Amino acid sequence: MDHTVEIASSFIEGAPPGELGDVVADIKALTESDDIIPSLAPAFERYNHKQLTTVRLPGASQEVIVSEFNRLEDGRYFDVESQTSFEVDHVTQEATGSQTYGLESQNADLIKSLLKAMGNHAREHYRSCSYGVYPIENDSAIAIVLVANRYSPNNFWNGRFRSVYTVPVSEPTTVTGQIQVDVHYYEDGNVSLNTHKPVHASVPSLSAEGIMSRIGAAERDYQEQLNRAFVQMAEGAFKGLRRQLPVTRQKVEWEKVGGTDWDRILPGGGDFSSPWDITLSTSARSGDRYTY
Amino acid sequence: MADSQFDSALDLLRRLNPRDTKQHLNAITSIVPDLAEDLLSSVDQPLEIRRCPKSSRDYLLCDYNRDGDSYRSPWSNEFDPPLDDGTVPSERVRKLEIAANEAFDVYRELYYEGGVGSVYFWDLDDGFAGVILLKKGVTPGGKSSGEWDSIHVFEATDRARMSHYKLTSTVILHLANETEALGEMDLSGNMTRQVEVDLPVESDASHVANVGRLVEDMELKMRNLLQEVYFGKAKDVVGELRSVSSLSESSKERANHAEMIRSMHG
Repeated sequence: MDHTVEIASSFIEGAPPGELGDVVADIKALTESDDIIPSLAPAFERYNHKQLTTVRLPGASQEVIVSEFNRLEDGRYFDVESQTSFEVDHVTQEATGSQTYGLESQNADLIKSLLKAMGNHAREHYRSCSYGVYPIENDSAIAIVLVANRYSPNNFWNGRFRSVYTVPVSEPTTVTGQIQVDVHYYEDGNVSLNTHKPVHASVPSLSAEGIMSRIGAAERDYQEQLNRAFVQMAEGAFKGLRRQLPVTRQKVEWEKVGGTDWDRILPGGGDFSSPWDITLSTSARSGDRYTY
Repeated sequence: MADSQFDSALDLLRRLNPRDTKQHLNAITSIVPDLAEDLLSSVDQPLEIRRCPKSSRDYLLCDYNRDGDSYRSPWSNEFDPPLDDGTVPSERVRKLEIAANEAFDVYRELYYEGGVGSVYFWDLDDGFAGVILLKKGVTPGGKSSGEWDSIHVFEATDRARMSHYKLTSTVILHLANETEALGEMDLSGNMTRQVEVDLPVESDASHVANVGRLVEDMELKMRNLLQEVYFGKAKDVVGELRSVSSLSESSKERANHAEMIRSMHG
């Protein structure tokens, strides 16, 4: 059972964006029971923290983030903007028992300014996303997190953009963190894009504007770099693996390459001479020319 | 083992990161050992290369040239480690196999300009079947790398002066890049497509040409498909998640554009 829990936990943590429910269903079918699910709770929690899972607060419309940064000592979570704390069922990803929660931080003003700045940033660059700003490390630093999800299971694709930054409360300060993009496409196949970009930028003044302009620049530069990388991969490694057409621009003349020395080939195998004894014949045949 | 377990295993392998299919496969079969045989024969994994001791040429390993722990070399028709009673094709089908290996060697040089290929055929009651394997890796520089594995499995069923071909093709394509500015980028996966067709057969030589043309057409289609999904679709989804340009600017532009059109038609 321990072995099964360990493996099922790795499946949970490896679930692609928007497909955790499908992975759970597969685990239940493979183990032929639901009994394993409670033992997987720690894996669900790790998944939710790492993937910046969003939950809907009871009676509210907006989604708030669940992360290691907004977890309270008693295991509840808090959201600064809605001034709420809540309980999370990590397996079902449901929030319950919301209560009013007042932010207790010496940096409350900076956190609120950062939230406002993040709101502008989010509206400018994300069609839909959730973000949060939290005091961390005994109020000595601030965590800024953002997650954008787009799920289109009917078209067999899902995607997630995550960024996590921490900023020590000091002047000058630094923004340290990472941007991660995961895209999954699975129509008659399984194609996965996974990226990881560390971010490290110094900020001269401890202000919401200063921090946000660094974050905005880092995300913009990264996305431009990633877009260029797609083109470079297509033009570089991909082209180097398999040509679209032979250098001659002609398709293979199979009658010639497969049958020229047909009588020479002895039944029953054994050694045969180099394939280069066969004429590499790719001269044009009328009507067989490939046109772009 | 229940059918639903097998289906769930396949579904899971279609969802988890395709870069680690081998580990996932081992993990699944370690919790449901009865699935091992069926999964190993229906889940394609990157091909391994072995050197044929007799011909000193490389060949590719798969479930179709395996007998126990030994693999049959397409160049020598012998098993490594040696087997006294290893399953080999009939004389006629081996002859076809040799011809197909020669033909696909030419094909490989023309399209892959390198790499390793192997073709294995086996007998069926009403025809024969085979697998065409092609593999190539590149390291264009720095930490950039790419690996392509083609696995084409077909059945040729005898009909009067015709043969019915059923081809199932999988391409496994791994691409990775890492630079200071980009960080780590991994674009990996596999896609599978099928085709069925009746083609005229004059002699056994026709089979090699028929299968060759089918595989050539299929690889062209799949290469285009991979290009579309890897560099088109994946990039588009990133653009759906995050917009490089300002969304309020673009919606303002759209509104201005619509206003301009309205005034022109007004």
